[in-house]
Order: sequence, then structure tokens, then C-alpha cells
Amino acid sequence: MADSDIVSIRNLVKRFPVGGGHFTALSGIDLTFGKGEFAGVVGPSGSGKTTLLNIIGSLDKPSEGTVSVLGRPVEGLTHKEAAGLRCRHFGFIFQTYNLLPVYTVYENVEFPLLLLDMPARERDDAVRQAIEAVGLTSKLASRPAQLSGGEAQRVAVARAMVKNPEIVLADEPTANLDAENAHHILQTMAELNAKLGTTFIFSSHDEKVIQYLRRRISLEDGRVVADEREDAATPGKEG
Amino acid sequence: MLLLKLACRNLVGAGLRTWLSVIVLSLSYVVIIWMQGFLDGWNRQGRHDMIEQEIGGGQVWHSQYDPYDPLTFEDSHAPIPAELADRVAAGDMAAILLSQATIYPQMRMQNIVLKGIPPDQDVLALPTAALALDDVAVPAVVGERMARNAGLQLDDLVTVRWRDANGALDACDAKIVHIMDTDVPAIDNGIFWVPLERLRTMLQLPGEANLLVVGQGLGPMPEATGWLLQDQESLLRDFTAMIRMKSISSSVMYLILLSLALLAIFDIQVLSIFRRRREIGTLIALGMTRGRVIRLFTLEGMLHGVLAALVGAVYGVPLLAWQRVVGFAMPKAVDSYGVAIAETMYPVYSAQLVGATVLIVMGAVTVVSFLPTRRIAHLNPTDAIRGKVS
Repeated sequence: MADSDIVSIRNLVKRFPVGGGHFTALSGIDLTFGKGEFAGVVGPSGSGKTTLLNIIGSLDKPSEGTVSVLGRPVEGLTHKEAAGLRCRHFGFIFQTYNLLPVYTVYENVEFPLLLLDMPARERDDAVRQAIEAVGLTSKLASRPAQLSGGEAQRVAVARAMVKNPEIVLADEPTANLDAENAHHILQTMAELNAKLGTTFIFSSHDEKVIQYLRRRISLEDGRVVADEREDAATPGKEG
Repeated sequence: MLLLKLACRNLVGAGLRTWLSVIVLSLSYVVIIWMQGFLDGWNRQGRHDMIEQEIGGGQVWHSQYDPYDPLTFEDSHAPIPAELADRVAAGDMAAILLSQATIYPQMRMQNIVLKGIPPDQDVLALPTAALALDDVAVPAVVGERMARNAGLQLDDLVTVRWRDANGALDACDAKIVHIMDTDVPAIDNGIFWVPLERLRTMLQLPGEANLLVVGQGLGPMPEATGWLLQDQESLLRDFTAMIRMKSISSSVMYLILLSLALLAIFDIQVLSIFRRRREIGTLIALGMTRGRVIRLFTLEGMLHGVLAALVGAVYGVPLLAWQRVVGFAMPKAVDSYGVAIAETMYPVYSAQLVGATVLIVMGAVTVVSFLPTRRIAHLNPTDAIRGKVS
């Protein structure tokens, strides 16, 4: 694992029990992600993208192999240690936004900072900045049910970014969005990546997302079939 | 502190769902306190009245005397023993002589018990001074129930027939000189209070008594052969047992009410965990441990109990305070209970009662809040995030 690598995956295998046997979701995965990458795991449904993200995010454990995040092997973490790792170093963006329904936009974005026990003044500044960065200052007191899909996903982006995590894991972030909102969200994330140097790892089969990625890891039937890097500016950015 | 803040947010955010269960639970608090306060008030008032008017500081019974068997009255009298005579003479004890008798009010026959008591006694809070009339052959004091049942009124003359110590039947007219208002049926129903000396003469039992009532706070009385000391508690045993039975039967009511409220909270918790599994998955993804999520959900359930106590206090405190002042008018039918019940019952709410009720309800709420949350420990966060049941 190089110094600049923040995620290192070696010979990862993930099996799920199905009936009397097992279904192998991931097999022989060897990958590393460096700081500041804007990478995506792409592939058809059932190819293992979400499973890979869940293991990187310490929400799941490998059946075989090692996954090291920020120098810590995920497979050896206790529930509490894994929760601590996610709390401090990860931001999550989900396909279905997963905002806390009874909280306002402000409270949703504030939530990760409450878990970090950040002082109130500092917390308030960070929340307002994050909400401003996604352009939702006028919706501070709105609840998720009062937001459009695009707005809800922007809140999710603000929530993922508010604590300045090293890694943001975005699982099909644009799947429920129209083209305009999808581009807006991806644009926002690309800007945050460029500005803060946060590592973004996407899972997607959406062409709109793929256009923005600087690194595309193609998965098929749980195996990496291609790992392409692209240093040129993305079409979205140009536009 | 964080969990408390989050739990409060979740409760407030849940809106009507929270308030419905809180209101139902608050009813449990108020009704339990009200009913138990009513029983405590009854117990306190009943004991007070019985001690003041019937039991005194205890009684000394002739060894053959059985208050539940009138047939023993004939054989359970004796001269006041020498060991106790001084105390009786000093007014520390009131001698009572009993006899079965028959009256004929409204041309109907009715069995009664004649109770002879010194008119000048002050051991029992009875209007016996009314018996100190020289110009009336047999002055009698009766209770309101007795007067009502027999159709007797003040100054009425009623024929009384009795059998003296030799078994000879005798009769005379007794005059109702006072109708007393008492909450103690044992000194009212079927009882004619007459002057002790007059009854002794009627029964030809000079200087005799069936029982002696001890004044309150006089300490232990000397023992006397052939007489048995009955302390206050043993004389109140039946009443205490009845209150206890009432209390147990009331607990069935509390249990039903509490069960309804707890069922509502249990349902909310079970439903929350099912409905909010995506939220649970999100909380775990954002860095909460499963244990912390369990504590959060348990705390949310417990806060229903706290909110219910506050809501219950808002309407319960004025309601119960008002009830304590105006009391609770008992229906006439309660006379048939045969125990001391005032016409107006004043509930008593002790700090112990309120504290115990809050503790019991909170304890029960905590248990039903916690039980469903154990399921969270088995929830697969990756499934939960997507709203799947694992």
C-alpha cells in the first residue's frame, strides 16, 4: 500500500449464503484508491458494485482477502471500531438519499457533526457552509418530504461533506434524478473533490456519472474487468 | 446527552403519533393516582371514623364474646374485673353491655341489639350525652340508617322487648332522643344505644359488661382473667382486608389501562423499527453503533413515559387537587357495603403514591420500549439502508 493510497483491497472475495450454498458477489478484487480520486465502480446490476462499496465503507466484511482503509484492516474491526471509522472518515451518499425524515435540512446536515461531538458554534458554521455549497440556503428549515429529488440528494451531499471526510462513498447517487439534477449533483461533487481533495468512490451504471469519472473500474460478475484512468477534463466540467 | 437530543427531535418530529400515545399513557398516570388516592382516602377516613366511634384505642372483650354471633351475648357478660375497675371509673375505658331485643316500629317486628353505654363517656365520639335524660324511661340514640330502615324519627316512642338475665321477657317504650349521623355502619345498623345503667337494670345484670372500650393513646391495659385484649389493628383487620381487596381489584383496572398504553408504545416501537429500518441503516452508516441506536430507540420509548407524566401533570394536578377539595359524593347504595364509608369521600394523594405510580409506569414503559429494539442488533445495515428486512 503506497503512502498516498487510502483504500487498499487485496484478493477480496465476498460470498453470501443463498439457500444451502453460497453466491459469490465479489471475487479476486485487487484495487487501490488514492487520496483525491474521483473514481467509480461501474457495471450492470448484480455485478457487485454496492457490495464493494459496503465493504470499503466497513458496513460489511469480506469473506476472504483484506481491505485496508486509512491503514486499518476492515475485516478485523469490531462493530464499534467500524462505526468510529465511518463516523470520522466516511461520507455516504445513497441512491434513495436516506435523509432522516423528521429532521430539517439543517438538522440532517448537522447530524454527523453531532456524532463527532463538535462544539455548537463550530458546528453551526460548518453546517451553513455545507448547505451553502450545495445551494440550499433557502431550504434550511424544510423537511425531506418538502424537497424535490434533486434537492434531497444535494442535502445528502452536504451531509456527506460537512465533516470533511477523507472518503465519500456514493452508491448510485443519480439513479433517482433527472438529467439536469444529476449533472448539478455531479458538478457539485466534482467541485468539492477539486476544492477539498476528498476521495469520491461511486458505484453506478449511469452514463451521466460515468462521464464525470476520472477513473472507471468496470465490474462484471464480481470481477474487475477494466480499470481505466482518464486525466482529461470531464465533459460535465467543460459544460 | 446527544441521544436525548436526538430522541426529543424524533419524538417532536413524529408529531401526532407521539401525542396520541402520550395522552393515552398520561391517562394511566392520572387514573391510577386518582383511584389509589380514592382508596387511600377511604382507608384513612374509614380507619379514623372506626377508631373514633367504634374501636377506640382497643377493646377488652369477655372471653365468650363474639361480635359476629349475637347468641353469645347472653353468656359473654360479667362484672367488670377488679384489675380494670379503676380505669373504668376514671373514664379511661367505657363499659358496654349488649343484648338482643326486638322493636315494633310501624307495627312491624325488627330485631335489634341494645347497646348500653355510659352517657358521660368520652372514650368514643358518640352523642351519648343525649342519653343523660332523667325524665325519659329509656332514651335511645340511633343512627341515620337505623332510623331510615325502621321509619323512626326524633322523639318517636317505640316498643322494645327483651329477655332479661333470667330469661323473662319484658318490654317498655324507648324514646328516640337523638339520631346520629355516622359513617360507621357497625354502630348504626340495627343498634339502639341506651344508658348503660338503664340496660343493666333492664337485663338484671348490675355492674356487668360484655366489653370495655379503651381510650386512645392510653397504652397497654392490665390483663384480667376471663377478659381478652383486642388491639386496634386486630379490630381493624376486616376493614384493612377489605381495602386491600378493593386495592387488588382496582389493580386489575390499572393493569388494563396500563396495558393499553403499553401496547400502544410497544406497537409504536415495533412499527418504528419496521418502518424506520432505512433510517436505522442510515444512522449506522453515519457512524452510530448498534448499541447506540438501540439506546436511542429505547430512550424515545421512555420519553413517551416522561412526556405522559408532564402532560398528565398539566391536567391531572388541577383535576386531582379539585377532587381533593370537593371530594367524591358516594352513592346511597354504598350503605349496603357494611363498612365505614363517608357520604363524601376525600381522596388522599401522597408523594409516595405519586412517586410509586410514576416509577411503575416508567419501569413498564422502559421494558416495552426496550424489548422490540433488540431486533436492531440483528439488523443487517446494508439491507436496512435500502429499506430491506433482513
